[in-house]
Amino acid sequence: MPKHELILLKNMMQLGYTGSLQDYERAGGYQALRKVVGKVPPADVTAMVMKSGLRGRGGAGFPTGVKWGFLPKGYQGPRYLCCNADESEPGTFKDRQLIERDPHQILEGIVLACYAIGAETAYIYIRGEFVLGARILEQAIAEARTAGYIGTNILGAGITANVWVHRGAGAYICGEETALLESLEGKRGLPRVKPPFPATHGLYNKPTVVNNIETLANLPHIVGRGPEWFASIGSPPKSTGTRVFCVSGHVNEPGNYEVPMGITFRELIYEHAGGMRSDKPLKAFIPGGASAPFLTANHLDVKLDFESVAAAGSMLGSGGVTVMEEGTDMVWAALRLMEFFYHESCGKCSPCREGSSWLVQTMRRIVAKRGRMEDLETLVDLCKNIEGRTVCAFGDASVAPIMSTLKHWRAEYVTLIQEAEAANLIKLEPAGRH
Amino acid sequence: MPNATTETVRLTIDGVSVSVPKGTLVIEAARRVGVMVPHFCYHPKLKPDANCRMCLVEVERMPKLQTSCSTIATEGMAVRTATTVVHNAHKSVLEFILANHPLDCPVCDQGGKCDLQDFSHQYTATSRFEETKRIFQKEYFSPLIETQMNRCVQCLRCVRYCDEVMDVKALAPVGRGTMTEIKSFGSHPLDCEFCGGCVQICPVGAIVSRLSMYEYRPWMLKRADTVCTFCGDGCQITVQTKGQELIEVNSAHGAGRNSGDLCARGFFGFRATSHPSRITHPLIRRNGMLVEATWEDVLEFVAEQTKRLKLAHGPQAFGGLISGRCTNEELYLFQKFMRLTIGTNNLDSSARYGHVNGVQAMRLVQGTHRWTVTFEDIVQADVLLLIGTNITEANPITGLKVKEAVKKHSATLLTIEAIQPAIGTISNISNLSQQHLCIAPSQFGAAVLGLLKAVVEGNHVDNTIKQRAPDYVSAVSHAVQQLAWDDLAVSTGVPHESFFQMAASLVGGRRVVVLAGQMLLRSQGGYGICLNLLDLLLLTGKLTAQGCGFAPLAEENNDQGAVEMGAVAALLPGARDLTDQDARAQIAHAWKEDLPVAAGATLTEMIDRAQAGIIKGLFVVGENPVGSLPPQTGVKEALGKLDLLVCQELFLTETAALAHVVLPAASAMEKAGTFTNTEGHVQAVRPAIDPLGDSRPDWEILSALSVFIGVPLEYGDAKEILKEIRAVIPGYGSLGPSPIPPAVNPMVVDQYVTDGYRRDLAGRYTLPARAVRQEGTVELGLVQSLFHSGKLSTYSKGLLQIESSGYLHMNPVDAARFGLTTGDRVRLSNSRGEFATTAKVLDRVPEGLAWFPDHFAQDALRLFDCVVDPDTKVPSFRTVSVSVMKTT
Amino acid sequence: MLARRAASEGPRWTRAVRAPSIPSPWVGRQGSQMLKEKYQEEIDEIISRYPVKRSALIPLLYLAQRDEGFISEAAMKEIAGLLRLTPPQVYETATFYTMLNLKRVGKFHLQVCKSLMCALAGSDTVIGWVKTKLGIGPGETTSDGLFSLSAVECLAACGTAPMMQVNEDYYERLTEERFDRILADLKRDGTCSLKTGPFMWPEPVAVKGET
Ligand SMILES: Cc1cc2nc3c(=O)[nH]c(=O)nc-3n(C[C@H](O)[C@H](O)[C@H](O)COP(=O)(O)O)c2cc1C
Ligand code: SF4
Ligand code: FES
Repeated sequence: MPKHELILLKNMMQLGYTGSLQDYERAGGYQALRKVVGKVPPADVTAMVMKSGLRGRGGAGFPTGVKWGFLPKGYQGPRYLCCNADESEPGTFKDRQLIERDPHQILEGIVLACYAIGAETAYIYIRGEFVLGARILEQAIAEARTAGYIGTNILGAGITANVWVHRGAGAYICGEETALLESLEGKRGLPRVKPPFPATHGLYNKPTVVNNIETLANLPHIVGRGPEWFASIGSPPKSTGTRVFCVSGHVNEPGNYEVPMGITFRELIYEHAGGMRSDKPLKAFIPGGASAPFLTANHLDVKLDFESVAAAGSMLGSGGVTVMEEGTDMVWAALRLMEFFYHESCGKCSPCREGSSWLVQTMRRIVAKRGRMEDLETLVDLCKNIEGRTVCAFGDASVAPIMSTLKHWRAEYVTLIQEAEAANLIKLEPAGRH
Repeated sequence: MPNATTETVRLTIDGVSVSVPKGTLVIEAARRVGVMVPHFCYHPKLKPDANCRMCLVEVERMPKLQTSCSTIATEGMAVRTATTVVHNAHKSVLEFILANHPLDCPVCDQGGKCDLQDFSHQYTATSRFEETKRIFQKEYFSPLIETQMNRCVQCLRCVRYCDEVMDVKALAPVGRGTMTEIKSFGSHPLDCEFCGGCVQICPVGAIVSRLSMYEYRPWMLKRADTVCTFCGDGCQITVQTKGQELIEVNSAHGAGRNSGDLCARGFFGFRATSHPSRITHPLIRRNGMLVEATWEDVLEFVAEQTKRLKLAHGPQAFGGLISGRCTNEELYLFQKFMRLTIGTNNLDSSARYGHVNGVQAMRLVQGTHRWTVTFEDIVQADVLLLIGTNITEANPITGLKVKEAVKKHSATLLTIEAIQPAIGTISNISNLSQQHLCIAPSQFGAAVLGLLKAVVEGNHVDNTIKQRAPDYVSAVSHAVQQLAWDDLAVSTGVPHESFFQMAASLVGGRRVVVLAGQMLLRSQGGYGICLNLLDLLLLTGKLTAQGCGFAPLAEENNDQGAVEMGAVAALLPGARDLTDQDARAQIAHAWKEDLPVAAGATLTEMIDRAQAGIIKGLFVVGENPVGSLPPQTGVKEALGKLDLLVCQELFLTETAALAHVVLPAASAMEKAGTFTNTEGHVQAVRPAIDPLGDSRPDWEILSALSVFIGVPLEYGDAKEILKEIRAVIPGYGSLGPSPIPPAVNPMVVDQYVTDGYRRDLAGRYTLPARAVRQEGTVELGLVQSLFHSGKLSTYSKGLLQIESSGYLHMNPVDAARFGLTTGDRVRLSNSRGEFATTAKVLDRVPEGLAWFPDHFAQDALRLFDCVVDPDTKVPSFRTVSVSVMKTT
Repeated sequence: MLARRAASEGPRWTRAVRAPSIPSPWVGRQGSQMLKEKYQEEIDEIISRYPVKRSALIPLLYLAQRDEGFISEAAMKEIAGLLRLTPPQVYETATFYTMLNLKRVGKFHLQVCKSLMCALAGSDTVIGWVKTKLGIGPGETTSDGLFSLSAVECLAACGTAPMMQVNEDYYERLTEERFDRILADLKRDGTCSLKTGPFMWPEPVAVKGET
């Protein structure tokens, strides 16, 4: 029995809960929608979300109500809601569960968001690999449409909200909100230069809100149970509500755990995820997906909220917590993530494109014991030259693994290089004799 | 300008204060104070993409460095470009860009003019990159353009130019990350407009021209800024030469009317004039054969013959014909030679083929012979109506102005064209159109009538004109009321709602420009349609409004100059009537000689007179009537009867082959002078190389002839002639970046609306004849190709590589009807004859039509009839009905 | 210098692949309009979801991939025509996304996640199994055309690593035994019941006091 009250995972934790419309309604679903549509002015719904303190669950943690408030007031013409279900951040697998197990919770959130921001069309941009998720969503949309929760004249209130599932096709960068918009427009998923922001120039150049699936899933609860209730959960005032953390790596019980923000990593890892899988102690963990800098065993008592993790030198990001036990090769681990970033760099900005290829090659050399001491300086330099010089946050993210492992485990790099130099000496010596 | 009082903001760049219009990018603001921020992906023509990250600067109160190419200057902004932080940022970005760049500068055509090379030098960037560089598989890219993708810095300027400016979208960035490469489609070679824009805009040597590959280092070349001769748009080009060799053509951003844009003809067609078959020595007919002779001998011969014929038959036994490709100075001297040295007004130029229709209509209605608008007005227009322009092919750069208006300024584009909005390798203007009417060329007139009727019936007639000229308004209203919508619908294939819709869009515009192209100007009734289009502007109150106007497009580079120089039968220099007594007196005074009185014969009239034995001597300068007119006009026999046919030519054309004397002329690459483009800009032509062989500029030949004949017209150089032109033509435009276009003359308009309109109103407000199309036939039309210009370009190896001969272009539906596929042989025939060619299926050709490029049409011409306009004497032979048969 | 001049006429390697003298027009393809004929309704429905046609590009590329197993040039041209794009516009998009195959792949496309989280749980071993059992490495296809292997980046199944995706299905918490069964089933039945259903991890268990 979880010791915290579940919000998002509550329904699905019921044995036999299928996520069908019937199940969802029986569990109290679509009541929030009934409560507000046509009865509470949209601006009041936005105000509720603002008051709840809800912050985006996609990675950046931007306050959702504030984001909605950036939409141009009194703008005539279409606006769009784009639901970010691209979930590609290594270490993150919560949206997938929310989608596949309780799709209506998301749909209710989507329709509430549409109502609040005045969007008549929402696209769920789901990563291409989630074929099952896309099917489940489509089926749920069909159900909701028949029941009058989606479509034209929702609940007889004359409100329109059409929801479409749009599948991505294999590109991590399309999780970035503007790359997502480009991709949704049928183009290559290259992030756009900001400003202008999606709020004014988004999909098809129209005012647009992009929100993560988990963010949206919170809406029925905020609207249903009131913003004050939500704001009281977690670590107010800045980190309210629960979050679904995805624990992976060397733990006994990896998986998704919904906990209020503010508990410690120690609690998450040892009490929820069953502790370490072997007798080896924890060596390192990533607190918020591949883009978040690595933390060490010393950080276990850091609280799981936006500010505390930032203060510890990392970020809460997407909520993907990856645990590594003693004995894990940290240079290798950094290289694995660097390979991911190299593979996924869209190629738009020179520092990111060229830098990631350069970093990967250098890291590979070091791991293959062909490194040199100067490489370490070069690595740091390159990372610094990428950071803050790119169109989107991908560039900053891509250097996190190397920068943080170099910070905490520099000795491991040095050892590899020393071994390389020793091997070189041995190789050179016989050559020298002849 | 719509916002003459542009708002400005003040900011500082490295402490220097500068005020710039609102919306200016920081990088441009910096340029204003002489600070060049290094950049690759930025280009003033393109939307900022900020992908190279080279242009980072510090902006006060912003935590991160900002890309100056995408940051808009705001009031009070403080920008620093010269700090250590910025310098180091530039250096590090450069290091990244260099990481995968091969160091093959010694064999790279860009060496010496490469941004990457220059910046590397500036930042003494050394690379710590020791890993493996990416290598792309070399692939055949296209006949004229070559890629070296290893050099690409992925700024995407080429791709963005191809899309944003050209609307062609032939380039694709393929793959992602470091392995992104610029390709076209799969392994297919690039198939596009070949504007050369990607070559020009690439900041490194990743995309190069194959015409000049490996031939030079930039510092070996001599440069001459001159004007392209391939169409009426008058693009400025920079011709680069090595000795007498033409190496390359470029265009500079910000220069000329094209501001750095060119089309395939301009970029790749430059070697047409140095083709080995150029005539480089005078030729004279001896025993039926043309043989080489000295200048002395031939000039003597021509002078002798001329004097003899003049003595025997008088000056009216002569005629003259000049090409609209010649310079203003030559055109002027030619008419002076004909009028003074010979003593006849029998003279004409290629402007007669269509341009005269537009000019005469403007003269009648608004009293100008030039546009009252400029290219800038097209770009700033909020409504553009294109009719029969075939603009991408015929006037590609004017087309770019239209595209810019639509794509950058959201102008409403209305098109009445004989094209289908299909997407192909060449951009299709109707794709950008808000409302497109696909109309057969023979029914353009009907479409204009439909528009006029919709204006009248939709109550769109401007109140001012209603009050000022009630008779005129009621006459036009009455005329359009005689037309039945049903008939209009049958003629045009367009329902009346479409006309109402288009009329409403037109009337709703504040800045409305109507562009009429050669498809219309050269078609039967072209003159009347132009008048009706002017009526349309008049009735809707747009004729005199700011930024509004009528713009007939010139096909040849100096058609406009030909008219202005008086090189057409009925016009004197300054495009004044031959009968204008003041003009005659003024010119006679300048020339110190009276002008001939007898009305001159036009092109077809001269041919008729030659046929009848009245004209016995003909001077032809750069024109080829035998190759251009349908044989049905009897032009060949007529010229065969002449006692003296003198041709000044570059090549031995069909006409020159009949001549008694052929005088080798210098091409535009080899002489100085001026051309006047379609919008009336007079621009300087400068020699890039010396005249080939013994060839001489046409004006020198004319001058020499006049001396030999004994009525000398002597000038030291082309400039002296220009000086005389300026003296003779009142208010003749000066050379300059943007001369002011003439304004509509209100007195002339008054005259037109009180009386002028009456003469032929009934005629031009009648629906054009509708041919009933027989089963198994199509309407064959002669069209302008993007890759050729007249016949001259068919001497360009580069252009022939793209389009080597004429194909019959046909709609897929028609092709299926005749069982044809691309590559099939086909025979076209009608009562006049037959002609065999190869078919090519093309989506953009409307059903029922088939197109054949004018440039290869000598044999096709025998199928055409020629109709001469009763007013403007423009011979028209654009479309004809033919039967189609597949052959084997 | 002479050699260079000759090169400018056209490097030798270009001779064999000279551009056809009649350039093939992008659209107006004469062959059968395959997709349109087969899936008219579906195509119309897809296009109708978006106010701007180009948005239908990826969905239509998926449709083409479903039809032929990969995206052919003919399909790209046809889709270009349907969406009023040029083929290069279709091509640039198609080549950006890893799930769109421009070349044929095996009947079963094994995509083993190799990102760090899966690697911590032994995904390299899975790639090793493929190598020993099927004889293919990443990017290769078995000679019978049945299996292709790709080593891919994170597929959002890190809690149930190691994992692989086969065509549309996820297979998680792989062990050698489960892996062998998957291969055998796929070969025999074309599918395997070990594929993951609606995802939840850890799974709910019966709690006292609840039914
Ligand atoms: C490289 C990159 C990848 C991202 N991937 C995702 C993703 O997979 N899912 C997601 O919801 N947000 C992702 N984001 C964050 C989004 O840009 C955006 O902030 C988020 O969708 C906004 O929704 P929220 O405010 O509800 O969090 C990514 C950001 C970056 C820079
Ligand atoms: S080819 Fe040239 S213009 Fe195009 S992206 Fe590369 S460097 Fe830029
Ligand atoms: S010029 Fe500004 S980013 Fe390239």
